[in-house]
Amino acid sequence: MNRRTFLNWGTAGIAALCSGIAVSLAAVVRFLTPSVFYEPPQMFKIGNAADFSFGPPTFLAEEKIFVFHNRETGFAVASAVCTHLGCTVGYFQTDGRFHCPCHGSVFGADGAVAHGPAPRPLEWFEVTLARDGQLSVDKDRVVPAAYRLLV
Amino acid sequence: MNPIRDAWQSIFRRDPLSTDKGKSELVFLNVWLHIHPAKVKKENLKVKHTFYLGFITFYLFLILVTTGVALMFYYRPYPPQAYQDMKDLEYVVYLGTFLRNMHRWAAHGMVICVFLHMCRVFYTGSYKRPRQFNWVIGVVLFLLTLGLSFTGYLLPWDQLAFWAITVGTNIGSYAPLVGGRIRELLLGGHSVGQSALLRFYVLHVALLPSAMILLIMVHFWRVRKDGGLSRPVWKLKAESSAKLVSIGAPAEPAFRVVPASQDKTYGLMEVVTGKPTFETVTAEEEEDTVFSYPYAFFREAIALVATVISVMAVSLFWNAPLEEMANPAKTPNPAKAPWYFLGLQELVSHSALVGGVVVPALAVLALVAIPYLDPNPSRRPADRKWAIRAFAVFALVNVVLIVIGTLFRGPGWALVPPWVHIAGAE
Repeated sequence: MNRRTFLNWGTAGIAALCSGIAVSLAAVVRFLTPSVFYEPPQMFKIGNAADFSFGPPTFLAEEKIFVFHNRETGFAVASAVCTHLGCTVGYFQTDGRFHCPCHGSVFGADGAVAHGPAPRPLEWFEVTLARDGQLSVDKDRVVPAAYRLLV
Repeated sequence: MNPIRDAWQSIFRRDPLSTDKGKSELVFLNVWLHIHPAKVKKENLKVKHTFYLGFITFYLFLILVTTGVALMFYYRPYPPQAYQDMKDLEYVVYLGTFLRNMHRWAAHGMVICVFLHMCRVFYTGSYKRPRQFNWVIGVVLFLLTLGLSFTGYLLPWDQLAFWAITVGTNIGSYAPLVGGRIRELLLGGHSVGQSALLRFYVLHVALLPSAMILLIMVHFWRVRKDGGLSRPVWKLKAESSAKLVSIGAPAEPAFRVVPASQDKTYGLMEVVTGKPTFETVTAEEEEDTVFSYPYAFFREAIALVATVISVMAVSLFWNAPLEEMANPAKTPNPAKAPWYFLGLQELVSHSALVGGVVVPALAVLALVAIPYLDPNPSRRPADRKWAIRAFAVFALVNVVLIVIGTLFRGPGWALVPPWVHIAGAE
């Protein structure tokens, strides 16, 4: 074997080894990424418009959303998940704001950060009227805070 | 011919322990003991040099493995059975509460002892040449300890566990570029749920303990190969300290072979030429040594018994906390991470990116780099005032942040002294 052959085969061998390692690593990451998520659906129905009273928002614990129902402007749905570290915020009727129990973030009635470490305002989700007359919320569709559904 | 004596000698091939040869052979013919040197320096056995913190940490790890395997017999890693199994351990399983207590308190104790051990190694300057890399392994072992604690924290599947892990994994998602991806891989989903519990379980009982055991072996091996325990600082004379730390590149006679005495045999290391990369024992120091059996083994056994009894005693009187079952819909107020992460949570309450990612990453990098950044070769405290002050500040900041997060944070993370009772707050 001469020098050139040795270097060629050596380079090819190292390249093959490196790509083998890279492919294996990618396969490990892909293996650890679930192909199916057994989690609650992002889009769901929450009931009829008449189920929601006017005034303070209704908190749906399972879905982690607040449903606002205003006589004039209609429905709006806010996320109850704090944008800081994912704790569930509470709505305080006394000051009409959202308070996070974990690190003290406070969000205004429109979801904007009023105080604390939260980096972004609370999210608002699209709420629509399904064919059967129920309200339908899609957490994959984030809408501006001004979004309203008048039923 | 005596068959019983034959059988005995097939297992234990050493000479009687009354002889020096027997004492040496006890150590180096035994797979469990041969990590020790046959003889140790007397000064290294002194409690005030090491406080036996490395041993205590290791013993706590042994307690954790033993009680952990026992708990595995009664634990199913999926909700809601995981929580029901906790209740079973508490009320049904014989010694269940006691074993769970031991596991929990030994885990807390291990975090504390690893930290204290690190402080001891820093203050005695024992991370300096030739022991730099063993310090790095030590830092990784510290991180593994935290990882084991964190993954174990989720397993009871109560409110405490659920929200601590929700907050903890969300901190990780602030890491730039890969943060969200890492969180998804860790949880096997988008929120803490069934797959997260299973993944944390596998990490906690298989992956992390294996890594831990492998690195502990390397850590111990390196202690020996780097020349055994460092000399106590009180042995470092001003004029000789430069010589003591120049190990790895001795100034004058490059390699001096100690003349063989009549009753000793020497291994290969005496024959090869070249500079030793580890501390060597000179003839004068040889006078200062004692056999590991019984002097070192006896002290280690005392430390083991004291550690086990302490953990047992604490477990008899204090129960590991268990709150109500995990409820994703209801965040407890205040929601707190495990205590050793409360300093981190305190930082995170000011800024998630800086406090949760940048500061801890820099702290870990700084810890790893200490032996390579510290240009001072001396181990004498008088020569390293600034290093000692800097590390004291680092340790103190950690402790203060943890104390604030643990005792001074009330509902809504408001600053509330522990002696003030808030009505209705749980």
